Order: sequence, then structure tokens, then C-alpha cells
Amino acid sequence: MKQLLKYELFKLWKQGKTWYAIGAVLLIEIIILISAYFQGATILELLLDNLRQSFYFEGNLLNGNLLLYLVLNSLWFNVPLIIMIITSSIITEDYKNGTLQTTLLQAVKKWHLILAKYLAALIFTFFVIVVMMVSTFGMAYTIFGNGDLVVYLNTLNFFEADEAFKRICFAFASGTFSMLFFTTVSITLGILLKEPAKTWIASAFFLIICSLLLKVDFGLGNYDQLLFPKLINTWQQFFEYELNWVKIGVDNLMLLLYTFLFGAVGCYVFNKKDIG
Amino acid sequence: MIKYLIIILISSFSAFAQEVDQDLLFIKSRMDSIASFSAQLKLDLDVPFIKMPTKTAKMMYEKGSDITFSSEDFVMLPKRGLDFSLNEIFKYPFITVQRGTEILNGINVKVLNIIPDDSKSSLALATLYLDIKNKRIIASNIITKKDGSFDLQMKYKTSKDILPQNVVVSFAMEKLKIPFNFMGKDTEIDRKKLKESDSKTGKIIMVINNYKIFKIK
Repeated sequence: MKQLLKYELFKLWKQGKTWYAIGAVLLIEIIILISAYFQGATILELLLDNLRQSFYFEGNLLNGNLLLYLVLNSLWFNVPLIIMIITSSIITEDYKNGTLQTTLLQAVKKWHLILAKYLAALIFTFFVIVVMMVSTFGMAYTIFGNGDLVVYLNTLNFFEADEAFKRICFAFASGTFSMLFFTTVSITLGILLKEPAKTWIASAFFLIICSLLLKVDFGLGNYDQLLFPKLINTWQQFFEYELNWVKIGVDNLMLLLYTFLFGAVGCYVFNKKDIG
Repeated sequence: MIKYLIIILISSFSAFAQEVDQDLLFIKSRMDSIASFSAQLKLDLDVPFIKMPTKTAKMMYEKGSDITFSSEDFVMLPKRGLDFSLNEIFKYPFITVQRGTEILNGINVKVLNIIPDDSKSSLALATLYLDIKNKRIIASNIITKKDGSFDLQMKYKTSKDILPQNVVVSFAMEKLKIPFNFMGKDTEIDRKKLKESDSKTGKIIMVINNYKIFKIK
């Protein structure tokens, strides 16, 4: 099992796609930073415009923490899309090249192999988020410096620099759960669809559907919030002024359960299905 | 007949031409005796659509200049309500109209209306509540030409203090207009709530401590 995991990670490390994906994530960050550099002041100007009648402002809000928050927003669509394309190829490329059959001709248990693939994909996703986090923190604080964070979530919430840093770290951690969920879904879709192109389309479609259903009221009352499309933005709760730790904990736990559920379905289907 | 008419006219003119209230002038002279001061400021914002932790800043004043602030954090400071020297009121000629006395927060106060006599003044009308016993202002209502109106409530640490320790500035605010590209994806736009929040009353609660006052010798 350990050997299989090492083998899958080695494959990921060696394939060019992996580095293109990391490069794409870094490029997204750079684009956000550049656009924030040119447009950030104007956005803040608009945001605080009607407060200027009553207040003077002392201090700078266009700082590293605001930039980190903007980068975190890219977790909505861009980053999971890139991650899903790469991680789904862990299984679909094997189907396409026939290497799955070759591997299973060895003394390898089917469920060990698929578990190794899931784990490799999850490790890769975690690695991408860590790279994204370290690089964004580095660039944002170096270029824009530290300062208070302002976020609009139904109310205009201000956080002091230390508090903002803490919340951004928590949000990255919670965002990682969402990314791990999408990764698991992409592998499961790969198992079901086998073909890379079909899986990419299905992954993108799944992402779009989740994004669309985020605001739909299913009429289930409190249970509405327990459906997985509603849980992918749990990280955003760290920017509510008053933190509801119970809700954050339950939402993250539910997302983890969905991740296991999709993974279990994938493992079951893979074990039952004929490899050919 | 003409003689009587002239007497009536003269007496009515003198009724309109009011002098500046002596108590107000005395308070102004007390304020004028301050050459400069610095103090530590603790700010709390009570605005329905803004959530901000308590902020601290240092305020500095030098005679003839506006009050300046410095802070390591981002702070929102009230545009109005920190004019302890009454410079804004005394900048241009004005008349005062006495509105009698009343009891405000258990203190016997003289109520004065300040009406600017110069079109350049940013003030439209001010109502001051003077604590005659301790010779200081404890409340005011200021109506400006451009910046709306606001109320001030001031509390002092001791009966001798010229500068307040607690200041509450209340003001009307327009609804918040948020650019859409700044909204989080899960931000709900409650139109009813937005309409209701057309104009809200905001409050800034300030606690001013560690005054270092330098008086004119």
C-alpha cells in the first residue's frame, strides 16, 4: 500500500501537468495581486464613499490581508477546477493508457490501488493549497504590507491585523476541506466515466452546479445547510464578525463525511467494476 | 406721528441685534487658554451596518490648527464633534438666541441657539447646552450646510475639567452602497433591509484619557 502511494506520488511529480497546474495557481495569484494593485484603491474608495460624509479615515486598508482575502475568493472556482482536472487524470490516464490492467496483473489488491490513488490526489491537493498559501502570504505581505482587513458580508466587518491573520489561516484550513472534497469527487467521476475529457467536463459541470446551488433554497429548513453545495463555502464563515464555532465545526465535519461518502462510492464501484 | 414711528423702528431693530451670550464667551475664553493638548482616544463605533473592534488613537491639538490623529490601526474618526475649541462656531460672525434653561442629565443648563451671520460659515444652526455652574458645554446639536446634522453629549471627569472625558457623537448616515465586485459569493442582498436602512443613526463613543494640556502663560 505504502509502495503504491509512493508510486502514485512519483507519477504525479514526474508528469508535466502537475507543474502546469501549480504554475496556473501561482499565475492566478499574480493576476489577482496585479489587479488589486491597480483597482484595489478604487474599490475601497467606492466601498467607503458614503462613510466619508461622517468620518475621516486613518490607516491603509489596501494591504496584504485584503489581498489574501481576495485570493481566498479564487477558491470558489478557479483552484478547484485546476485541481479536479489534474487529480482526475490519476485514474483516467491509467484507464486510457491501459496501465491499470498492467498494474493489476501484479500482486496488487484493487482496493489498495484505488485507495493509494485517492490518497495521492489528496496529498497533491494539500500540497497545492500549502504552495498557494505560502506564496500568497509572502507576496501579499511583501508588496502590500500588513494592516486591518475589511470584508463585506451583509455588514461591513473590520478586523485588526492580528485577528485578520488568524482568520485567514483558519479560512485556508477550512478551504482545504472543500478542495479535498472536490478532489475526491473528481477521482470518483474518473472511476465512473473512465475517459479524461468526459471526466473534465463532468468535473467542471459538478463545480458549476455546486456554485449555482449554493444560493438555492431547497425548503428543508435547517437541513438545507447540510447539503454539500451549501458546505463548500464554509471558509467564508471565518469572516463573519461573530464566529459561530459550532456551525463551522458541524459544516466542516459534514463536508468531511461527504468526502468519505464520495470516496467510498468510488472505491466500491472500482472494486465491483471490470477493469477492461 | 413720524417721531413715534422712528422710536418703534429703532426699538424693533435693537430687539433683533442680539449680542453674543456672555457665558458662551467665557467658555470660549477658557478654551482659548489652551495652547495645545494631547490625549489618548478610545473609539467605539455603534453603526448598524459596521462592525469594528474598539480602536485606539492619539489625538493632538495646537492652537490655530485642526486636531490631528495618529494610530497604528485603521481608525474611523468623526468628521464633526471634536472641535472642542469651538473654532468652527467662532470662525465667522454669529448671533446667539437664548432659549431659556432646562435640566439635562440632572444638570441645570442654559440653552442657546447659534445662528451664523456669514454665508461662508459651514454651520446652519447650532444649539448649545451650557453648564453655567462649571462653565462648559455638556451637549450640542449642530446642523451643518453640507455634512448633515449631529448631536454631541459630553461628560467630564471632574468639575474643573475644560476638556471632556466621554464624548458621544450621534449622526444620521445614508445607506451603504456596496460595489458588487466586493461582495462575497454567499452575501445575500436583502432589499427590504437595504430600503429600511435608507438613513440610520450612527454613534461614535469616545473615551479620552491621559490629557496633557499646555496653557497659554
